[in-house]
Amino acid sequence: MATAQLTATVRSEGGKGAARKLRNAEKIPAVIYGHHREPQMLAVDGRELSRMLERITPETTVVELNIAGTPARTLIREIQRHPFKKSILHVDFQELVAGEKVTVDVPIVLVGTPEGVRNAGGVLDQIMREVSVEVDPSNIPNRIDLDVTALGLNDSLHVRDLVAPQGTEILDDPDATICVVAPPRVEAEAAPTGEGAAAEGAAEPELIRKPKAEEGEGEGE
Amino acid sequence: MLSPKRVKFRKMFKGRTKGIASRGATVAFGHYGLQALEPGWVSARQIEAARVALTRHIKRGGKVWIRIFPDKPITKKPAETRMGKGKGSPEAWVAVVKPGRVMFELEGVDRKTAEKAMALASAKLSVKSKFVVREEAHTDAS
Repeated sequence: MATAQLTATVRSEGGKGAARKLRNAEKIPAVIYGHHREPQMLAVDGRELSRMLERITPETTVVELNIAGTPARTLIREIQRHPFKKSILHVDFQELVAGEKVTVDVPIVLVGTPEGVRNAGGVLDQIMREVSVEVDPSNIPNRIDLDVTALGLNDSLHVRDLVAPQGTEILDDPDATICVVAPPRVEAEAAPTGEGAAAEGAAEPELIRKPKAEEGEGEGE
Repeated sequence: MLSPKRVKFRKMFKGRTKGIASRGATVAFGHYGLQALEPGWVSARQIEAARVALTRHIKRGGKVWIRIFPDKPITKKPAETRMGKGKGSPEAWVAVVKPGRVMFELEGVDRKTAEKAMALASAKLSVKSKFVVREEAHTDAS
């Protein structure tokens, strides 16, 4: 189990105006919630948070929050980011309760190069990248490794092939596919380039509704 | 080229593109992506050109996802026509793209090849774009 420390302060004002003011002051609005606890609005230092996130896997790391002197063991439940600037907009912390299990998404890491990729030129397609597990917070695995070296062309691995670390229970469907070695692509490029401009606008799609009889071509007049 | 099979109406208003992409803004299928940085229309022709550039560069191996679809018809009046007499006829299909939209995704190639392929694809598009990597890629290494 990985842990990290972070300092937070309590904030009283909510809403986008207050949140923007905070962000301008290089702080990130956050919230903490959990069982038997009223949600509380927080603010964390932007630099400290991004430095911490560089080192840890956020989904599986227990963050020890220091909220104005009061400690709280938490799990980061959501990090909202700007769609393309990558700046952090908001963070959700869930307080952990001793003796209560939590559901966490643990990354699946594929280990090795499949035989089908090495020898047959296939492509390893990872369909599922995280698996949902129920686990005690003190036992959260950082990742679950899956050996793919024996996979040939068209072979796949499923959730049932994962070896769950001790104390964890996998919640996802055992038949769900994690990865597959797809056969190499066959180049089929000749068709689209040949016809060129003429075909572009000409092929009009079929209308779902039937045009009225008198509407026809004179619809714009 | 991509175009809808069936539509409810032949012609559409121009519309205004406001705001940023709230959906389709993360790399969801592959490992690498090409993300739009400004709003605009990307035509079916541009999408096809970018797809060809991508697949040619990665040769065999690798998988490409196109995450935009040109579902907006663009009309045009014929050359040397007087104004009026109604809206022109549909000439092309475009996808409306907002900043943040991940337009293409790639998997099964190394980062250097992916960067080069995306740069080639980016040159075919009418919106500024940047190369992005799936977020988990950073955390996997830890």
